[in-house]
Amino acid sequence: MNCLRLAFGSILIALVASTAAAQSPIVIGASTPLTGPVSHYGQHARWGAEMAVAEANAKGGVNGRKIEIDFQDNRCNPAEAVKSVTQMLSSKKYAAIFDGLCSSAALAIMPLVERANVPFIIANASATSIAEKSGVGGNKWTFKVNPTDASMLDALVAWLDKEGKADNIAFLGEDTDYGRAGSAGFESALVKRGKKLVMADYSQKGTADYTAVLTKIKANKPGMVAFYLIDADFQNGIKQWFTMGGGIPLTGRVLVEQVPKEILASGFLDGTISVQPYDVSVDTPANKAFVEAFTKRNSEAPMLISFESYETTNILIDAIRQSGDASPEKIRDALTGTKYQSMLGPVLEFDKNNLIHNNAIIFGIKGGKVVILGMSKT
Amino acid sequence: MDWSFFAQLLLNGLVMGVIYALVAMGLSLIFGVLEIVNFAHGEFYMLASMLAYFLTAQWGFDYWATILVVTVVGVAVGYVLFEGLLLALRGETFERSILLTMGLSMVLQNGAVFLFTTNPHLLESKLSYQNIVVGDFRMPVARLYALGLGFAAFAVLYLILHRTRVGKAMRGVAQNRAAADMVGIDARAVSRLAVAIGIGLTGLAGAALAPVYAVHPLMGFNFVFKAFAIIIIGGLGNISGAAIAAVMLGVIESLAGGLLPLALTDAVAFLSMIAVLLLRPQGLFGRGVRV
Repeated sequence: MNCLRLAFGSILIALVASTAAAQSPIVIGASTPLTGPVSHYGQHARWGAEMAVAEANAKGGVNGRKIEIDFQDNRCNPAEAVKSVTQMLSSKKYAAIFDGLCSSAALAIMPLVERANVPFIIANASATSIAEKSGVGGNKWTFKVNPTDASMLDALVAWLDKEGKADNIAFLGEDTDYGRAGSAGFESALVKRGKKLVMADYSQKGTADYTAVLTKIKANKPGMVAFYLIDADFQNGIKQWFTMGGGIPLTGRVLVEQVPKEILASGFLDGTISVQPYDVSVDTPANKAFVEAFTKRNSEAPMLISFESYETTNILIDAIRQSGDASPEKIRDALTGTKYQSMLGPVLEFDKNNLIHNNAIIFGIKGGKVVILGMSKT
Repeated sequence: MDWSFFAQLLLNGLVMGVIYALVAMGLSLIFGVLEIVNFAHGEFYMLASMLAYFLTAQWGFDYWATILVVTVVGVAVGYVLFEGLLLALRGETFERSILLTMGLSMVLQNGAVFLFTTNPHLLESKLSYQNIVVGDFRMPVARLYALGLGFAAFAVLYLILHRTRVGKAMRGVAQNRAAADMVGIDARAVSRLAVAIGIGLTGLAGAALAPVYAVHPLMGFNFVFKAFAIIIIGGLGNISGAAIAAVMLGVIESLAGGLLPLALTDAVAFLSMIAVLLLRPQGLFGRGVRV
């Protein structure tokens, strides 16, 4: 009789435990700048990821379990990113780590996830070196969904070359992995076509006054200028370029949504040709639905960062679904077999460097307005 | 590279230097009279720019009304800062003043981030995009206004310090507080006025520069470190020295930025500071008598 009671008790405990496990949420850890100079982007990254999670949960979750995403602040600082992700990994409750947003932060996270054997999926950081260090022969736990600077700039330079505008480009970027990857991407794409940058200069993040270097660039009379600056640095740079009467169109990754309306409408930047992984005006039904839902949810239209975070989180959720038990190793294996229909058109798959090659969008500015010139495979 | 390139760099540097001087003079005045290094100075500059942005963009104030209101608010904040915080440091160690002003800086910066987020704002007034063009030279009108205000502020401050009784009292307190007390100078009132003028000058700088640079809660940090270099080069507490050092530094930085890699411009500023500390620890214009 005692044996029978023991057997019933054991079965009951096992049943309760398995039910609890089935119902406990799957937690994704996220390290992104929630404060500091790029926290506005961090907020959009969060909104994009949270929208994807909310949609998945509204459909009943993944394999009967809800998804949670836990955001911690990294201030776009590699040391803070290491601190937050180390804490997450030591708690062992996270099925995967999402993003980092800044290239320097993502690069700092990569060795941590490799040691801990936890998948790390990058939505926004664009440094080419991330993909170079990932996949076959490198970090097998890191996956990058957005195009690298190198692949986007290759698409852009190909476009410029076709139009005979790739011969005389000057570069001004912030002295971070983002800016350095931008100049390296330009150099490599130009060298492939027998050309090179006519000058490259770098500013410290937080620089307010660009008059000296812009005077230098103007005196060099380049055909186009590539700005690799973000946020206040970009706004100071573009405003000072305008007040100096730069008169030279821009190229590179021009943050058109941050260009003051007066400058854009004046036609000062006409002739600009830029590349970005996304634009809200992309004319596909999926993108239109995304823009509408995102704007309704957050009272603000999405931007590149929110789009990338949304699609990346969806890819991660798909992989968790494919993995069955949401164990890190199985999620990693499922990620390598990803086939995801992007809002921009192509079906996305990771290459041998765990990098996805979505379309890049080539923009132009004509008559004071931003126009999509076309899409180019990265 | 023709002569107009160098002339444009010199002109840019001169304007930049006067912009630096606007921020550095207030810092120098406060140090001169109170021997307190105000690490929160950059945050007062930031708050002044934020206030100028809201007055202009949200409430439609014109440029001159904004300058006046922000400067007056700066003076009032200086009074409150002295009576509420700095007075408590009287007779206390120099290190405590550093910790207090650093703590205040963090509170103000993070408070501004909490209230306004780190999104940069551009003040979109007509003034923001107007230029004066003479031949090959271009200069934004907002920078020229800042240049004029910088010169005017220096002249007024110089006259106050050297031609008025209250200015003489400030210099007296700066030279020897105990002796000033003995001859009946109210050191507390003089110190309070120095802080009020110092923060008022920072308010003027913030308002004058709001149409020039993007306004955001992290903008004060870089400026104040440059201002520290300037007051050390000029001679701690020496306002004329700080103004001259600021213009020198602006011109040197502009020439360096135009002729060398941009990343070296800050190195030029801080190497100048190190060189002055090694070769002339009292500063280029330090005379032992401050303010």
